Amino acid sequence: MDTKDKNTNIDLSSSGVMFPDSSVSPGEIVEVMRPQGGRETVETPPIVAEGGKGQPKKSPTPLQESLRRLWRDKRAVASIGVIIFFILLALIGPPIYQHIGGIYNSPTNGPIGPSKYHNPYWQELTNQDQFISGMYWLGTDDLGRDMLARLMQGVLISLTVAVLVEIVDIVMGVLIGVLAGYYGGWIDQVLARVTDIVFAFPGLLFVILLTGIFGPQADIVFSKIPVIGPNGNARLILVSIALAFVAWPLMARFVRGQTLQLKEQQFVEAARTAGTTDTQIILRHIIPNLLSIVIVASTLDISNTIIGEAGISLLGLGVQPPGSSIGLMIVQGQAMIDSNPWEVLLPSIVLAIIVLAFSFLGDGLNDAFNPRSKD
Amino acid sequence: MVQFLVKRFIGLIFVVVGVTFITFVLGLNAPGDPIRDMLGEHFNKIIYAELRHAYGLDLPWYQQYWNFLVNMFHLNFGYSYKYQGRPVMSILAQGVPVSAELAFWALVLQVAIGVPLGIFSALKANTWIDTTNMGIILVLYSIPVFVLGVFVQVFIVWFDQHTGASWPVSNWGTPWEYSPADLSYKIAPILVFAAGGVAYIARLSRASMLEVLRQDYVRTARAKGLRERAVIYRHALRNALIPLLTVVGLLLGLLVTGAFFIENIFNIPGIGYETIQSISDRDYPVIQATVVLLAVGVVIGNMLADIFYSVADPRIKVQ
Repeated sequence: MDTKDKNTNIDLSSSGVMFPDSSVSPGEIVEVMRPQGGRETVETPPIVAEGGKGQPKKSPTPLQESLRRLWRDKRAVASIGVIIFFILLALIGPPIYQHIGGIYNSPTNGPIGPSKYHNPYWQELTNQDQFISGMYWLGTDDLGRDMLARLMQGVLISLTVAVLVEIVDIVMGVLIGVLAGYYGGWIDQVLARVTDIVFAFPGLLFVILLTGIFGPQADIVFSKIPVIGPNGNARLILVSIALAFVAWPLMARFVRGQTLQLKEQQFVEAARTAGTTDTQIILRHIIPNLLSIVIVASTLDISNTIIGEAGISLLGLGVQPPGSSIGLMIVQGQAMIDSNPWEVLLPSIVLAIIVLAFSFLGDGLNDAFNPRSKD
Repeated sequence: MVQFLVKRFIGLIFVVVGVTFITFVLGLNAPGDPIRDMLGEHFNKIIYAELRHAYGLDLPWYQQYWNFLVNMFHLNFGYSYKYQGRPVMSILAQGVPVSAELAFWALVLQVAIGVPLGIFSALKANTWIDTTNMGIILVLYSIPVFVLGVFVQVFIVWFDQHTGASWPVSNWGTPWEYSPADLSYKIAPILVFAAGGVAYIARLSRASMLEVLRQDYVRTARAKGLRERAVIYRHALRNALIPLLTVVGLLLGLLVTGAFFIENIFNIPGIGYETIQSISDRDYPVIQATVVLLAVGVVIGNMLADIFYSVADPRIKVQ
């Protein structure tokens, strides 16, 4: 393989191998590697975008090409809109909502402002199970708490857990995947065995096991951290750790596969010939080229994570009362399904929308970055 | 073939040991002292020591793990902490038939609906039928099972209130019996439970069928003048179904985790429901037993699927 590669150095580029976004200026490389007419084509592993087939100078980079394809995918663009809406809702919704509304003369609590009755924890026991109104935009639950406030809190929880899990997922997955793919050896062996176990073992079962056994302990330990506080969110740390633990092997396997392909590429070969150290090759040539696969895989995993957190909270193992999570809202609303089905429908619909948005976006990203994978 | 089986079996042992070890270590390090919880504040030290001995908790951890493994092979998962003296197996024995029934019918529906749906979509590829079909399937596939369950329950409540019917929202009839009363309990959860897998299988069989339709032997069959039906049923379909065997394991995993949600949403007294109960009771042996049983079940299912796969398609060799 090696000698053949060296002899056919130029021709290789005619098979369209390009790197989407590396720190090496792409323009220069295209210049050097532009096919001279393709005397001999060499099979190379399918790797990245098709965009680089030696077009005239101002051709867009494969990344731009991918983004353009994504932009044309209406479903994916709509999903981005939905996701941004929910992010904004979770982040800036609560402070705004707590300033909207007049003074309410509560029979039990006296005159209170919106900062009270639009607080997700505030129980207005004379206003239980109310439907949508000017005061409670999305009604109240069975303890007289504002549903919109609780929903925004729940969405914030979902997104926070998703971000935490994806950070761990990406860091661990990329680190171990690259090392396993690049160096092989024992890291590769260990990764293979670990992924075997994780794939064989239904992931949520492990999360249920871990949160079930250590949940009460986590309540005590983590609720002392000021950011988390005593409102029942402490177990989320445990839930996030558990979800990340079952998520990263898949990412590592993807990254490993991609690294194995990249390792054989001409530009890596060239870098090595030029005396670049392994660390430099990994940092400057391999990792930047993992961008697309990592983005696609982590977007698709976000929906799993959000479902996971909601599900775990629904089983009573995640967020504890009086905290709010979409899963917890679903169980609490389920008790009122006969008299006020809205309480269970609202969080269910919102969860479905968020999950669908991330799935659609993930699919769209996949089509945009790997146009050949479409059938 | 023998080599393949041996390799598979070694892999199986590795995974089983890994799973049991993780489960065991988590149980061993569980917070609190179960025996103290059992005895309450003021306890007799002798009884405490006797109980510890009876549960085998006075042994060093490796001996405990060894006993755990040996007992597991005899399907003995020790005794419940909550119901003293009651074997874990007798607790699980109540839930297993219910969960097995639920999973069985869900699996049957998944294959019976998912495969034809996917094949049909593939034959109509890129028409509006295919697009709508796949759109619905993508939604079913993405929406979590408990959300789907809630939607169905809300529908049932609405239906009951508007027609005066008494279609039950939750609970389960007698396991493996199908009188009208039993069916009224079972239909909704089984349908909901099956939905995700139907979508999954449909997507996969569509992709697999499309792949097969591109193959040379299909072109050859057409070229020699076979009727389209013969091409599809005799040449394409059979080959398209083979790769579906590999997802059996994944489906089992889906069924196992789905069972927790569906049983808790619909109040079905299956193994998932029992596990969640034992978690709130801190009855660790029951939790460990469920996890090990389910995980080993999934692993064995995976292995069987692999074996079937290699029998169905001899080109497949284990790597």
